[in-house]
Amino acid sequence: MSSTSEIQIRNVSMVYKGQKGEAIAALNNVNFNIREGEFISLLGPSGCGKTTLLRLMADLLKPTTGEIVIGGLTPGEARKTRQYGMVFQNPVLYEWRTIQKNICLPLEIMKIGRVERNEIAEEMLELVGLSDYANRYPRQLSGGMQQRVGIARALAINPKILLMDEPFSALDEFTRNKLQEDLLKIWSKTHKTVIFVTHNISEAVFLSDRVCVLTPHPGQLADVIDINLPRPRSNEVRDTPEFMSLLARIRKCFMGV
Amino acid sequence: MQRSGNLVNGIIAVMFGILFIFCWQVGGFHVLLQLKPYQLPLPTDIAGALYSNFDVVMENTKFTMCEALVGIFLGSILGFMFAMLTAIFPKWGSGGLTLVTAFNAVPMIAMAPIMNNWFGMGMSSKIAVVTMFSMAPMAINTYRGLTVLKPFTLDLLNSYAADKKTIFLKLRLPNSVPNVLTALKINTTIGLMAAICSEFFTSYHGIGFELSTVLKLSQMSLGWAYIVAAALCGILMYGVVSLVEYYALKWHTSQQ
Repeated sequence: MSSTSEIQIRNVSMVYKGQKGEAIAALNNVNFNIREGEFISLLGPSGCGKTTLLRLMADLLKPTTGEIVIGGLTPGEARKTRQYGMVFQNPVLYEWRTIQKNICLPLEIMKIGRVERNEIAEEMLELVGLSDYANRYPRQLSGGMQQRVGIARALAINPKILLMDEPFSALDEFTRNKLQEDLLKIWSKTHKTVIFVTHNISEAVFLSDRVCVLTPHPGQLADVIDINLPRPRSNEVRDTPEFMSLLARIRKCFMGV
Repeated sequence: MQRSGNLVNGIIAVMFGILFIFCWQVGGFHVLLQLKPYQLPLPTDIAGALYSNFDVVMENTKFTMCEALVGIFLGSILGFMFAMLTAIFPKWGSGGLTLVTAFNAVPMIAMAPIMNNWFGMGMSSKIAVVTMFSMAPMAINTYRGLTVLKPFTLDLLNSYAADKKTIFLKLRLPNSVPNVLTALKINTTIGLMAAICSEFFTSYHGIGFELSTVLKLSQMSLGWAYIVAAALCGILMYGVVSLVEYYALKWHTSQQ
């Protein structure tokens, strides 16, 4: 495994102003490094600052103190040079665009020509298994399919990093498990660095190389757990004793919180 | 399944229409409202009046329609531009929008005699009234469409470092299309009404002028013929906007 640090998070704290002007600590002194090509989960209950941490990496928020370095760049530079693609809690498809045109959106912003745009979109649709739906509108697709389009769009600009903010939390368990498997297949083909926010312990264990456990009030990094389950992983791995013991170990991190 | 449902609904609507006119013709409403036939002419009399005065009715209808269409067009364009400026420069914009909303609350038909004073008795004063009426619905609706965005849609574009112009063209503008069409629908109804009402005061042409004149002469059937013409114009304009909406919003959930 190449051990160059792709993303460094150093002493990052984030304080919000509450409604009455009081300070609310969302993140308190978080430190860790993410290696290139690694699949990392940020796991914790609501209010632990996991989404805040992701949005800090995406430069959609600025940290109160501390520093984030992404491939030698600041988050702002990384955003402007399109180092990452982001997948949100809901698919965020523009409903007036067809599926293909939705995937083309970031490419249009990057001023890539029409022919190349369509080629990339077709390639991405094939990657997520939705080639037959290119000319449909978002409302004609199921929730699971829509979120695949969201992933395809994030990958279309061929970013080094994929930032995923609870992308499967709105899906039913069967669809979610299927998409988790598919995401791992896509990841093994594309070799992206993935940072995946979730509040689902088994999702984090199933997907990740390492799970960052965050505890709330204020949000801090309680533990980083290596997931040494063999890859490629399929649904059967969920029933193995190793998987179960990892679940139990992570659950212990939240005891007394 | 859906299509046959629409057909059944259509048939039911037509049947009700026929029943309504039939009741009217045989004097059902006259009994109900205790009216004499000279107060409420029978449908056949109205049709007869429309037939024998067809040319003059058409002439005046054209006049009113012209005022309404030009006024709706100008008012909608102005309202749209106002909403755009408000969305682009929110600092002064929000105050301006409050002003438009307050302006909208003014009973603007009271402005009609004043507009006659300003722009003369011809079409231009009526166009001015219609323009004033149709500005606010367009401004308020379009502003909503430009600024009320679904969660994360703006974050998405920011994550791609899109500039303000791109955000406006690729997100805000298409997002406002349903609202713009809704405002147009409102304006077709409001615009025709405003045109006719402002003709009541001082004018030489138009449905409103003719209506007030023939009623003074107790030509009830002809008066009703003008009302029929006005109703048909209203339905026509609304229908055209609905058709545009159907094709423009194929992607929208309301078209399912």
